[in-house]
Amino acid sequence: MASTSMADQLEDAIEMMIAEPDSAPPKVDLKISELLGIAAELRLLPDPEFRAELKAELLGQNHAVPVAANVDIRRQTREQGQARWDLKLDEILPTLFGAGDRNYPVHRGNFAISAAIHAALIAVVATAGIWMTRRTQLTPHTTSILLTDISAYALPPSIDKSGGGGGGGDKDKLPESKGSLPRFAREQVTPPTIVVRNEQPRLPAEPTVVGPPALTVPPTSQIGNPLSAILQPPSNGTGFGGGLGSGSGGGIGSGEGPGFGPGHGGGTGGGAYRVGGGVSAPRPIYDPDPEYSEEARHAKYQGTVLLWVVVGPDGGPRDIRVQRSLGMGLDEKAIEAVRKWKFEPSMKDGHPVAVQVNIEVSFRLY
Amino acid sequence: MKALEDENLTNQNDERLQVKAAQQDTARFAELYENNFERVYAYIARRVGNREEAQDLTADVFHQALVNLPRFEWRGLPFVAWLLGIAANLLSDRWHQVARLREVVTEDLEQVGMEDDIEQRAVLYQLVETLPDDQRRVIIRRFAAQKSLREIATELGRSEGAIKQLQLRALQNLRERIRSNHG
Repeated sequence: MASTSMADQLEDAIEMMIAEPDSAPPKVDLKISELLGIAAELRLLPDPEFRAELKAELLGQNHAVPVAANVDIRRQTREQGQARWDLKLDEILPTLFGAGDRNYPVHRGNFAISAAIHAALIAVVATAGIWMTRRTQLTPHTTSILLTDISAYALPPSIDKSGGGGGGGDKDKLPESKGSLPRFAREQVTPPTIVVRNEQPRLPAEPTVVGPPALTVPPTSQIGNPLSAILQPPSNGTGFGGGLGSGSGGGIGSGEGPGFGPGHGGGTGGGAYRVGGGVSAPRPIYDPDPEYSEEARHAKYQGTVLLWVVVGPDGGPRDIRVQRSLGMGLDEKAIEAVRKWKFEPSMKDGHPVAVQVNIEVSFRLY
Repeated sequence: MKALEDENLTNQNDERLQVKAAQQDTARFAELYENNFERVYAYIARRVGNREEAQDLTADVFHQALVNLPRFEWRGLPFVAWLLGIAANLLSDRWHQVARLREVVTEDLEQVGMEDDIEQRAVLYQLVETLPDDQRRVIIRRFAAQKSLREIATELGRSEGAIKQLQLRALQNLRERIRSNHG
């Protein structure tokens, strides 16, 4: 009976020890206490099956793989349960999946924040080149060039007069009469006239119009405007300042100046003066750069717009036309910018005159 | 018991011969395994306090030992000291990785190999194998498999009372053998 009682006590104590391994050992008789100590040592008794399996595993593999990769063997051992999988995670990222490193516990949240910040910084550094390139592309560079010589001084007189025109008249009631042009000359001493108001001039001189001397016209009996439809009665035209026509300035036609035809200042062909031949170039005094159009910026479109511009005597641009188009809204941007320009006007004979110039506006992305 | 002691404390010369033999023929590694399994397991189990982890690490130790055996050089220390060195390294690695072990494994390997506690446990595990079959079965099922008396009784076709008596006698037997072993 004593043995039975002892076996029961021992079993109760072992049961409690196994159920609560961390608790204090139960109070038992001295004899049982000694046996309970042995039982406590046996709690981690290795499984005989494991012992035999490991031996078989070692002896089974040592012939086939005498210097087998240790990693493979360990992996085989570790992949036998979930606990071993957790161990692998711990091995890969000990600071993230482990409880801590040595005596310094690591919080997963802090680790994650740190990892995110580092990743962001690396991304910023890695993409810095792209950012910089994009920023450059978003900042267009435009240049505008006045293709005409814009030197401030007046050019020496040119033999050739290109463009321009002239006109005159003496405020007659009738348009000027039809006739042939007088001789073209570099300078005009006497303007052409049909109705002679001064029969006896002090210094008689051949009437001429200013224009290329090489330009010859067939002489006829009467000087007049070859473009006029009126033959008779003779008239100097409705203009003023001498000459023939409805213009002014001693020439023939509807223009201004001593040339022929519509236009300004001499010569023939119409239009404004061109720089040269005593006509100084306009000098830009306010020339803001044009903006880049959004469409062209997105398309990374680049090129040059060529504008034809008349710079008036007041220094303001007018009659702006596109001579060479670029498109994508850049033509309009170029015109919009040049329209704001201000010039020091071209001068001829001390007077500001209108002059035509070409302005090249370049759009570039860097 | 003296025979057991002789078996446990392997003569160094014999052990040296065993190592040489295993280096030349890895099939002979079985003898070294049989002689040192309990010591290695007891050393690891004492530190990790968990049977599954102890078994995993024990397996790792012997796998590494087998792989590195050709490079082993006899330096006068028992072979188990080399095995425990491997175990200490693995425990250290595991300590850094998991940080669950509170105990710092920094003992001198030579001292570790001679540690009484480890030796006592190893001897105890070996003594279990020397118990009579019915007692050994009860002890293994009760402690290694963590089964209840009722489960063991069902498996062995005995009554719970009989299993309880077998458990008592087994532990008494082990106590006597330990005493004899200590001389």
